[in-house]
Amino acid sequence: MSFVDSLMAGLSVVASFEAFFALFAGICIGVVGGAIPGLSATMAVALTLPFTFSLQPITGILLLLGVYKGGIFGGSIPAILIKTPGTPASSATILDGHPMAERGEAGRALGMALWASCTADVVSNLALILFAGWLASFALNFGPPEFFALILFSLTIIAGVSGDSLLRGALSALLGLLLATVGLDLVYGTNRFTFGDPNMMGGLNFIAVLIGLFAIPEIIAMAWNPTAHLGKARALGHTKVSFADYRRSFKSIIRGSFIGVFLGSIPGIGAAPSAFLSYSEARRKSPNKENFGKGEIEGVAASEAGNNGVAGATLIPLLALGVPGDVITAIIIGAFMIHGLQPGPMMFILNVDIIYGLFIGLIVSSVFLFIVGSVAIKGFRFVADVPKRILMPAVLVLCIYGVFAVNNNIFDVGVMFAMGWVGYGMLRYQIPAAPFLIAFILGPLLEDNFRQSMLMSSSDPAILLRGPITWFFWALTLITIIAIVRNIGKRAGA
Amino acid sequence: MGKSKGISVSPKAIQLRLGIAACLIAGFLTIVGIPGWVSSPSNVSNIVLSPTFWPYTLAALTGLTGFGLLLASRTASPIVDPEMAEVAAAAGWVRLAGLAVIMVLTMFALPRLGMVWTSMIVFAVTAFMFRTRHPIVALICAVVIPLALYAFFAHVAGVAIPQGIFVRLP
Repeated sequence: MSFVDSLMAGLSVVASFEAFFALFAGICIGVVGGAIPGLSATMAVALTLPFTFSLQPITGILLLLGVYKGGIFGGSIPAILIKTPGTPASSATILDGHPMAERGEAGRALGMALWASCTADVVSNLALILFAGWLASFALNFGPPEFFALILFSLTIIAGVSGDSLLRGALSALLGLLLATVGLDLVYGTNRFTFGDPNMMGGLNFIAVLIGLFAIPEIIAMAWNPTAHLGKARALGHTKVSFADYRRSFKSIIRGSFIGVFLGSIPGIGAAPSAFLSYSEARRKSPNKENFGKGEIEGVAASEAGNNGVAGATLIPLLALGVPGDVITAIIIGAFMIHGLQPGPMMFILNVDIIYGLFIGLIVSSVFLFIVGSVAIKGFRFVADVPKRILMPAVLVLCIYGVFAVNNNIFDVGVMFAMGWVGYGMLRYQIPAAPFLIAFILGPLLEDNFRQSMLMSSSDPAILLRGPITWFFWALTLITIIAIVRNIGKRAGA
Repeated sequence: MGKSKGISVSPKAIQLRLGIAACLIAGFLTIVGIPGWVSSPSNVSNIVLSPTFWPYTLAALTGLTGFGLLLASRTASPIVDPEMAEVAAAAGWVRLAGLAVIMVLTMFALPRLGMVWTSMIVFAVTAFMFRTRHPIVALICAVVIPLALYAFFAHVAGVAIPQGIFVRLP
């Protein structure tokens, strides 16, 4: 199928009012969700997921992608106005955004955040369109040993870079892998940790686990301290961002966008490291480096560009390889599965219309983000005023309905509650939840590919090193481990 | 955001507790969990293809990580990070216990009262437990939100929302 044919096929599935309305609504939900501290883009995507069940696949996925993109930008609004990042990725925006707000330039900082976010979003989407297809065609050569090596590499980097401690990340990933073993064995069909309960034979419901891990702990945390969220919002002020500001920061925005694209396309790194790297590079190269940290608009632009540059790029490994790039894309993979789609190289052959439909939707999303973001900046006052002590019970009720709706099964609600307490324990003991969830998703794939490899080779482990692709991923895994261990050594020595 | 939800113990104590917990989990799985709750056919040709191989491998790796955490705890700082420090309040523990009870009761009430009525009660009780400053709004939301969600899931998404045995909605 030629590029034009694929594009036309994509247009045929996406060119409908429902699809674009879902994308627009998703961005609105995401901006509001990201702007409410404690709700986060991740939780917003997780809570929107059940509403996609009744939608067409493309409409449902565009809704979630809209929430994702809106949520990443929305997180910068409270970061600037109340010094509380709506999402962890917005932490770098505080460094210069809040000092600007303190001197009455919040409107200017938010305007620059929006312009930088939209520019980075366009760059990221273009990177996705350019590279995903190429990577998928390369991945068609992958067999079980190659996929095993790839997933192992993804898990290593996810466990290693999320959180302060490699060991806590590794523990989180191992617990996720262990939980993924619940259910019938993939080869022999025997019971594993099912306790004879038919509800557990298909394994634990992925959506119950993810909502339990990411939404319920916030509700439990509110029970522990109901007043922890109270903060003081700054006024927008009268200064607005100008084209001269944008032109002055343009280099940093483009650099940050490329940093975001590069880091986003590596599974597990995520938006926060990208934002900080983009910020530090902008400071290093800027003629105004002494103003960074005191309210320099270029700092806001760089961190937001680094942050949003990730959003499209995380979809590259998801669509091309079927490996989620971060927690949010791990949730979005759930939406694909619910609609009977399996992201990965075969999707570029079997569902090319959906792939190109998503590409078209993503390009349009940058325009929608600009429109919604402009309004959201002015309307944050109302979002900030939503009483959290009413919002959280509403989230709890929404979780109950949403999780039940997946399989019409009350057992899943119990799984969600149980995982909520596990997630809260992990929160208190500073164990990152992202490796747990991603390992829970990738666990069956890892085991399945390992056992298929063993079946292919009559249990000869040499098959796991059978060619250049496996060598490449094993080498990357080794380099990642060495880099992480060296980093730990440096930190211990400091 | 995450920092304020940490616990007021030192990094050393956190690593130590996690290390002990990981070793206990690994030991429990190896001795009790996997032999008791993972069944394997007797005719498995090779150990790596056995349904127990993967759980045993993961249990061993968990044990290794636990040992790693125990070793790391020896060099970790014994000083509590002031940003992490929080005052342990008895009221906080009571609310946590209260929320746990609400969750357990929800599981019992869902098939009997139905999802809508249970959600209304859960919403109201949780909002008051969180000491809401808007009790009237909370009560209105407690009625409206579960009804709106019922309308969407039952009539738009076609989900068979549990109705309970007392009052049934259209």
